[in-house]
Amino acid sequence: MMSRTEEDFELELRSLPGVLNVGITKHANGDVNVVTLVANSKDPSATRSAATQIASLYYPEAAVVVEDANRALSDHNRGEGPRVALIRADYDTTDGFCEVQLSVDGRTGIGRAGSGPLIGGAEATLAALRDLGYDVPYSLMTVTNVTNGRDWPVIVTLRSLANDADRFGIARSEDDLVSAVKATLDSLNRFLSTLEGRV
Amino acid sequence: MRHESGDDDETGATLSSIHASDNERSDFTGEDYEPWLFQTMLNELSERELGVGFIYAILELFAERHGLTDVAVVLVNESFGTQMFRLGGAAVTSEMAAHLSASPGVYCEPDHVPVPERDAVRTACQLAMSLHLARFSAAHDPLTNIANRRSFDEALEIAAARSARYGWAFTLVLVDLNNFKLVNDRSGHEYGNHLLRQFGFALRQAVRQGDMAARVGGDEFAVILSNAEGHESSGFTERLRGHLASLGNPVDFTIGTATSPRDSTDPGELLRLADGRLYEKKGIRIS
Repeated sequence: MMSRTEEDFELELRSLPGVLNVGITKHANGDVNVVTLVANSKDPSATRSAATQIASLYYPEAAVVVEDANRALSDHNRGEGPRVALIRADYDTTDGFCEVQLSVDGRTGIGRAGSGPLIGGAEATLAALRDLGYDVPYSLMTVTNVTNGRDWPVIVTLRSLANDADRFGIARSEDDLVSAVKATLDSLNRFLSTLEGRV
Repeated sequence: MRHESGDDDETGATLSSIHASDNERSDFTGEDYEPWLFQTMLNELSERELGVGFIYAILELFAERHGLTDVAVVLVNESFGTQMFRLGGAAVTSEMAAHLSASPGVYCEPDHVPVPERDAVRTACQLAMSLHLARFSAAHDPLTNIANRRSFDEALEIAAARSARYGWAFTLVLVDLNNFKLVNDRSGHEYGNHLLRQFGFALRQAVRQGDMAARVGGDEFAVILSNAEGHESSGFTERLRGHLASLGNPVDFTIGTATSPRDSTDPGELLRLADGRLYEKKGIRIS
């Protein structure tokens, strides 16, 4: 049975403009792990920001994911499936390991890898995808930070293990780690959408 | 309206039965009467108020009763728009949402539940959602989502009564935003509302579990600090200022406090004392 607090938490999220659905995933100990909103929102980033604020009041440790119902519809019309979303990416400077958590349709996967934020970020992303159940027949070939500076894109190249064409992804984000993760997802998103439903 | 879909559905949606009920009649009388649902509602009502949790409880019972592997309900209402709930509190996939958002109804996997029962479930869920929203709205300020004046007055009455009876201490803090009228006049009400929303959020961050924050007037807020003898208000003020700074909110404020039972155990007297101290700090004399 849901507590009054849990009920009000969900109601507050559902009261945000455009939110259609709220899904809550919990750890084995009952703590809220991931809150997934499906929103028909004109401004998904504003919805995510408001939802993150609300979640921080009730469950500060919870990650918030907003999935865009409009994009799902347009993806569907293009024959594509739902997209994998980044929940969090952390780099531990003491041991050099990256940890990446991804989500797709309410499921989450976690991957870890060493080798710093660039290579480690890309490898941890591939590990997280495999943790989500995807069979990803690619290995990391290169990760390049275009100028070694801030605010410049990262390019990831994946080599096919099945002699298919290499895949490339590019992304620019707030830091190298997140850029590497997003570039890896960028390289694979269309491929992953063809697998959705078979995971 | 009826949507057809099935095992050959290429969308990846796992609810294969995208069959919305086309029966708009959905009440608890005549042929649509569902004893199990009615009894469940009565049981729930006798124990607690209907809310979002009730919707999940109904979906679980419904799935169990019909051996369903998945069930989702789509509700549409003027006050809460379109809302979807899925068995076990799971997220609907964004693709399901794209399909289901077209029409209200109960979607089952497998799809073998009679329409009247699905309609009854939908109506019960709709009622629970409406009641929860009404209850929440009655107790909360719509701009900031913190408690409203009515809830605050009730909470203050209860806290004061406990303080009088058991000697439990609490501190009432009245918070008044400085020169907020000027903000509205100079920058417009939209910006003013934005700052008020932020202030409400900062207040919720600043209070401890068990405390209560409320908006009791346009730019007036009140907090009940539980188990507090008075000096805790400085810690609360520091936390509030810190949270406002992290939000980039330029609003400044003044507080006035009164502590029960030391100052009084009468709610009206506590409010009068806190108000007087607040205006004293502002350098305003109340006649």
